[in-house]
Amino acid sequence: MEIIVCIKHVPETAEADITIDESGKRIEVEDLVFDINEWDDYALEEAVQLKEKLGGSVTAMTVGSEEGDSTLRKCLARGADRAIRLTDKAFEGSDGYATAKILHRAIKELPYDLILTGAQAGDDGYAQVGVTLAELLGVPHATMVKKVEFSGDQARVNRELEGGLEAVIEMKLPALITIQTGINEPRYVSIMGIRKAKSKEIKVLGLKELGLKEDEVGKAGSWMTVERMFVPPVEKEVEILEGTSDEVTTKITDILRAKGLI
Amino acid sequence: MTELFVLAEHRQGEIRDVTFELLTKGKELAKKTSTDLTAIVLGHNAGNHAKRLADHAKRVLVIEDPRLENFNSEAYQMVLSQLISQRKPSLTLMGHTAFGVDLAPSLATELNLPLATDCVDLDFEGETLTVIRQVYGGKVNVKARVRKSEGYIVTIRPATFETEEGTPLGGKIVTIESPLSEDIEYKRFIEYVQPPAGEVDITAADSLIGIGRGIKDADNMPMMEELAATLGGVLVCSRPIVDKEWLPADRQVGTSGKTVKPKLYIAVGISGAFQHLTGMKNSDLIIAINKDPKAPIFRVADYGVVEDLFKIVPSLKSKISEAREAHT
Amino acid sequence: MDFDLTEEQKDIKKAAREFCEKELTPELAIEFDKKEEFPIELYRKAAKLGFTSMRFPEEYDGQGYGILEDCLVTEEMCRVDPGLGVAIMSGTFALPDLVLTHGTEEQKEKYIPPLSRGEKVSAGAFTEPEHGSDLSLMDTTAIKKGDGWVINGDKQFITNAPVADSFCVLCQTSPDAKPTYRGESLFTVDKGTDGLDVTKLKDKMGIRSAITGAVSLSDVAVTKDNLLGELNKGFYYVLEFFDGSRIAVAAQAVGMAQGAFERAFRYAKERKQFGSPIIQFQGISFKLADMATKIQTARLLTHKAAWMFDQGKVDPMLTAMAKAYASRVAMEVTDEAIQVYGGYGYLADYHVERFHRCAKITEIYEGTTEMQKLTIMRYLLKRM
Repeated sequence: MEIIVCIKHVPETAEADITIDESGKRIEVEDLVFDINEWDDYALEEAVQLKEKLGGSVTAMTVGSEEGDSTLRKCLARGADRAIRLTDKAFEGSDGYATAKILHRAIKELPYDLILTGAQAGDDGYAQVGVTLAELLGVPHATMVKKVEFSGDQARVNRELEGGLEAVIEMKLPALITIQTGINEPRYVSIMGIRKAKSKEIKVLGLKELGLKEDEVGKAGSWMTVERMFVPPVEKEVEILEGTSDEVTTKITDILRAKGLI
Repeated sequence: MTELFVLAEHRQGEIRDVTFELLTKGKELAKKTSTDLTAIVLGHNAGNHAKRLADHAKRVLVIEDPRLENFNSEAYQMVLSQLISQRKPSLTLMGHTAFGVDLAPSLATELNLPLATDCVDLDFEGETLTVIRQVYGGKVNVKARVRKSEGYIVTIRPATFETEEGTPLGGKIVTIESPLSEDIEYKRFIEYVQPPAGEVDITAADSLIGIGRGIKDADNMPMMEELAATLGGVLVCSRPIVDKEWLPADRQVGTSGKTVKPKLYIAVGISGAFQHLTGMKNSDLIIAINKDPKAPIFRVADYGVVEDLFKIVPSLKSKISEAREAHT
Repeated sequence: MDFDLTEEQKDIKKAAREFCEKELTPELAIEFDKKEEFPIELYRKAAKLGFTSMRFPEEYDGQGYGILEDCLVTEEMCRVDPGLGVAIMSGTFALPDLVLTHGTEEQKEKYIPPLSRGEKVSAGAFTEPEHGSDLSLMDTTAIKKGDGWVINGDKQFITNAPVADSFCVLCQTSPDAKPTYRGESLFTVDKGTDGLDVTKLKDKMGIRSAITGAVSLSDVAVTKDNLLGELNKGFYYVLEFFDGSRIAVAAQAVGMAQGAFERAFRYAKERKQFGSPIIQFQGISFKLADMATKIQTARLLTHKAAWMFDQGKVDPMLTAMAKAYASRVAMEVTDEAIQVYGGYGYLADYHVERFHRCAKITEIYEGTTEMQKLTIMRYLLKRM
């Protein structure tokens, strides 16, 4: 099975301090640690596990600057067979739609049975690129998938719905699937993997190689333009309990007692 | 008159709450832009749905077809692309749900209409559509302009707008013949599966201790179980804990888990992604313990403690234990 | 001149970091520190990913890297937990390095692949109750008997002894040799050999999950196939081995210092006194600046010593400097880390006291700091 997995190199922000930069349109990323997008981590693992089970190969692909190579190398070390980085000055500022257009141009030239992406990205969270890409390629898709099986030219997947319910869907291959976290257990990068990755190349393609025009990508080719970023307003005013651990827990206990909860 | 579409979402015979939230916002926008609010429902035997929707919209378009009973993005897209091409609504709203996420991007791409996903607010500023989205796990909001077009598709985060009951609008129900002539070629809905139910019904508990990524390690679970037990509550969690299989899926609070409304919710080591907040923000009393003062959980909490949870939990457990003993 | 790690080396460091941060949890660290047990599961897990066989050649299932890459992994391991880190990285201690440099093809085939894969644990039995820093005379003897040898004697402070599958034992084979160290030889001894007995040493100050033991050999009969390298060359082999292993100790020290520093730094940002985070007080912030500077210096020295080794230009003076300096820095930085934490730093739950206890060993094993200084002086006198 020929599998393409689209991944994104994103800053880890779950436990980091975030500040908005002077332009007011971006966050300061200098001190942030970048890594593979959490959802893509599971998509990569699923791709590699499917390859190990069914044979074939895995191609990891990303849109972005050279910085993304560390994440692509991680994909190669974890079992991807080749990596492609789509980079061009003109791609900067692309939203989900423009990003999907860039990926589309690269993927339509390649053989594939299955395309995997993460269900969303931890940074801009559009949850849009995968499905847009499927539409551009003219292949069926399923999103937020927690289980993948194959029989013949059919993929049978479980989609995660709200409230814990799942919907089972069958699709004809080739197809695109966006992967939900928890579908598998992503492996560690091994030293053996790093050694193997050394002989694998990261291919770089730009605007011209992909046959794209400048106004199709970047800000010009996007649907969305960021006007400004701001810290979200609070929904209710929280009272921060200050003091030593001991004082704080006494305060909590007092509150619980006052409300009759203990 | 130009229309503003709200796409109704239903599953297993029930209209999903998000539909009414969207209709409430849709009504406001329709008024502002002098457009007609039209609810769209695709389904099979959807008469009852249409009647309910008629209270909230000026018009209800019903497309009946057995192939539309259960959501299949391929069939839905065929119907909606025709409908939108013909009627050219100024805006089509749907939920940023398993339904909207699967449908909106391909529909927008086919129709070449700009799409804004996962919005928490939207407005027309003159002729420009602007939206507010949350990024970086809810730590930052973005105000974005959507490229000018004669129509837009926007998916809205569930539980963002409150449903207003208001006076029934008595919308006109119009049934449209299903345009599905050919077979649905690529994609088939097979069935719903419900993961096995657990022993504990977390929606019935008075006190919940919610834990998240901050717990760091499975070895810390007993400490949290003990805190919950001391409080006479139940241990629940955000998604990462279920992904790691430290708690079963039926303990998950949030969009893909349960929505809870206990008397007390103590969030420990939960940063507060919206998926989790949606499931617990209406709890009576929320206390959050997290070492990041900017964690979104503090935006919905009544009381907050900015501190390493490992310093607070053991002390809290013994304090509560003492208080309970003194009480009995 | 290029001070940067290669992309590949950065990837190795990152891979080790991800593994350690997820697997070497603070709870496991405290648990193993308390019960003084070798973390065999973690060792096997790390081995499966290649972390414990960095410096062994690929044809023996190793990773084919040098001491520098080995140091990068060691540093990350000890940064997350010094006890577990040292334990995991010492699972393949001494024997494989000596077999690789001096062993026969049969010995390499026998010992290296299972060690690379984490199926076996090895040890080096050099130190004796009466001979620590001074290895120039061994009380343990190997007497020729027929085609083989019979070993008698006691070894002390032997890392991994209670769990080791094979030992590499330094013995006196020619008691009359002048000087005596020209009469020492190395033998491999496998677990289960008659006359080999091991007892576990308890209540160590630090690195308590890297377990240590006393080895007693009484009429242990070995064949000529157990002789490692040439007869009467053992002393030289061991000294040469220390030139590499000392760099690893320096890397342990750098990792321990880094781990304690990061903890103290985070704590200083969070901890408030007199209304502001203590990091804003000069007394604390200057301390942290000094700690960071010392770690950086120790790391540069260690990396250079490792790089020289990998280039085949071993410089025993530089190695000695790296070990002596990095181990001192580890002691000072872990001490200051406790100071930053104040009273909490004195409690096990806050981890830095463990870092301090563990750091002490780096000034002692693989040659004490005093021995390193002797080496430094010996070379300075020659070179200046």
